[in-house]
Amino acid sequence: MKKKFKFRFTRRAFAYPYMIFLIVFVVVPLVIILINAFLDDANKFTFQNFVEFFTDAGGGLTVLGNSLIIGLVTTLICLAIGYPVAYLLAKYHANSRVFVLLFILPMWVNFLIRTLSTKAIFMAMDVELGMGTVLFGMVYNYLPYMILPLHTTLCSIDHSYIEAAEDLGADKMTVFLKTVLPLSVPGIVSGITMTFIPAISTFAISEILSSSKIFLFGDAINMHFSKTTNSFGVGSVMSLVMLVLVVVANVIVNLTSKDEEAASVL
Amino acid sequence: MKKFLSLLAILLLVCLFGTLLTACKEEEKDSLVIYNWADYIFDDKLTDFKQYYRDVTGKNIDITYVTFDTNETMLTRLTKGDSNVDVVCPSEYAIQKLIESDMLLPMYYFDDDGSNEGKKFTEDFGSDIDREKYVHNSGNVEQGIIDKVSDAFGNIEITAQGGNKGKTVSMVDYFVPYMYGTLGILYNKYAFMEAEIYDAELLNRANWGILFNDNGNGELLSEKLTGNILMKDSIRDSYAATVFYLLESGALEGLTDENGVAYKDMPVGELINTVDDQLLDKVKEALTDQKAQLFGYEVDFGKDDLLSGNAMVDLAWSGDAMYAVEESWNDELEDYELAYYVPHSTGNIWFDGWVVPKTCNPAHLAAVKLFINYLNRPDVAAANLYEIGYSSAVKSEAIKSDDDARAVLAENYVVYAPELWDVTDENGDPIPQDECDFASWEEFELYFFHNSYVDDDGETVSYDEISDSNWRYPFESAALNADNYRNIDSLGVMRDFGAQNKAVVTAWNYTRSAGVNALPLLGYTALAVAVVVGLVYVIILVKRARSHKVKLRDRE
Repeated sequence: MKKKFKFRFTRRAFAYPYMIFLIVFVVVPLVIILINAFLDDANKFTFQNFVEFFTDAGGGLTVLGNSLIIGLVTTLICLAIGYPVAYLLAKYHANSRVFVLLFILPMWVNFLIRTLSTKAIFMAMDVELGMGTVLFGMVYNYLPYMILPLHTTLCSIDHSYIEAAEDLGADKMTVFLKTVLPLSVPGIVSGITMTFIPAISTFAISEILSSSKIFLFGDAINMHFSKTTNSFGVGSVMSLVMLVLVVVANVIVNLTSKDEEAASVL
Repeated sequence: MKKFLSLLAILLLVCLFGTLLTACKEEEKDSLVIYNWADYIFDDKLTDFKQYYRDVTGKNIDITYVTFDTNETMLTRLTKGDSNVDVVCPSEYAIQKLIESDMLLPMYYFDDDGSNEGKKFTEDFGSDIDREKYVHNSGNVEQGIIDKVSDAFGNIEITAQGGNKGKTVSMVDYFVPYMYGTLGILYNKYAFMEAEIYDAELLNRANWGILFNDNGNGELLSEKLTGNILMKDSIRDSYAATVFYLLESGALEGLTDENGVAYKDMPVGELINTVDDQLLDKVKEALTDQKAQLFGYEVDFGKDDLLSGNAMVDLAWSGDAMYAVEESWNDELEDYELAYYVPHSTGNIWFDGWVVPKTCNPAHLAAVKLFINYLNRPDVAAANLYEIGYSSAVKSEAIKSDDDARAVLAENYVVYAPELWDVTDENGDPIPQDECDFASWEEFELYFFHNSYVDDDGETVSYDEISDSNWRYPFESAALNADNYRNIDSLGVMRDFGAQNKAVVTAWNYTRSAGVNALPLLGYTALAVAVVVGLVYVIILVKRARSHKVKLRDRE
């Protein structure tokens, strides 16, 4: 007996358009990248692209290292700034709507416009464009992505835990370290992923805020794909490396936050 | 942004073809699809061409005009093979690639005598074309350009599979030049004066070294230049400029290529196409060292940075430079702030030309050829010359001797020449001679074609002995000004990097990534984290100790 595929108009049918979209614009491009990574200029099978990238012939590994470090530092700064902000916003929840809005407002401005304006401000202030300005731009752009998940998690903490801790005689510091901080870990993890992953693949921010002097991994991929011809191979290898990093980051997130809560935030 | 634009262009293209296909069936009109650079034609000339087409063939024509922003976008579009465009205007190295892939139809514009296997440029013209009214304009094209192209691209081997594989052909048979330009140095004149380097002798000695802050003797040209140099974010142009710099600064002294030919003995055209590993290493080294002197790399923000004082000098193409210079008029200084300089002994020259892809609609071929030929009419060339700012492939004598062409220029540049046009403003009121930008055609001709004027003593002098801001007809100005002397032989045409492309991309990637070290950043952050964690720990310890004390005291 063979089962015949029959199209039934069930609720599931509403998901088909998006499934098709996913296949065409996510799965197919990934397969193309995978194929390209193994092709040379004459479209023949080769490992040369990998060799070139992993032997650091064009400085690709150095660029990756720099990007990882800058991404890490951006994330740490975002966390250091974002956590107190999210904490305060959550603490004064009732009248903080306006403040939350103030933090989200910049996100509604297109990030290219924001970054170009930042550059203009730096130029007007005679600040030399370089690593510092790039880092500033990254923190400025990715801060909301850190604050929002933190804010959500901190708001959802049941206040009775804190009261219980206080009742049991814990001082403010201990209340924070023993209840709030552990309970907000899912938010921290999701904030870190939401900041770190885009931060290591950024290219427009570094391009604008350093006049293209600071060359990051995203810039390198961009260069291999757009400014030159026939360099899709190495570019694809770089993209694959990027993809692996994303997957690794996700695995780490899933390992550290087995809570259902964390999954729901993610 | 470019990506977005190209995406938009592709979308438009798709839409246009869609409508075109349906439109064709309905109307009895000829049609033509032109694929050109953005802002690369005087728009009215498309309408005028329709009129001309009606005159010559008695039929109406629909023109679909689509644009691209880089040769690479265009190549991708064409190599996909579904592009229904009839005529394209790529740069010389892109044409080389297209010929190698056997994707172009030969046109034989310059030998229309049937000597090429009996094929003629005009062979596709049907009976409805009025031969009396058709004038073959190939004679208007500057011979120097045709010679340059024959030298650089005379023997292109078709590498694509198929019947023509292995055949060697000349680019001249395939293309009709449209515009050309040079690579040079765009700089802020007043910033140079302030840095006290606005001096003909100094700059001529520094040459391409200006971009590397090298005065030609291996010393800094000016400390003020450090951190104020822009470089083009383009492999080809940066490569060319660096090779010239290496040659001029003597870094290639004693070095030879694998055949034992000294680099410095090669003609410029050969040198920039000799992309061997040794030279590439040298270029890589120079570009990496240059980073310490740079403000940054630019794609299209260079002009703004130069005008706002963020940077002092940039690598630029002549047309972009011309546009930037014209935009830089400063009312207070009563002068252009920016100026353009092409080093005298070496340089790069490039061409854009019209080609016909094999995928074009055969029924449109006659229209294509009429269009290409039409663009070489002096008055049309003059209008495009005015609009685009690059140098037209139509030679200056053809423009100077054609009344229509002179009228076009006189009107657009507001020249007091009643013999050519009626010298009126937009309201139809006559403009008096002293309000015109140029008092006579002679004065304009000296400026426009020779970058010179007649001084009070009646001597013809150059506007500025350093600046070559007027580079519309570089070889004409050279002929008239000893100060600006350079000759076309000193300019090389660059071919595609070919098999070395990958090596060049790798070198460029290396250069761009060099000099950036994020490790200290990691160190500082680790330090900061350690300090914060330490502080928190200390606070906790202190608090614990205190509460412990309290507890002890309570117990006592």
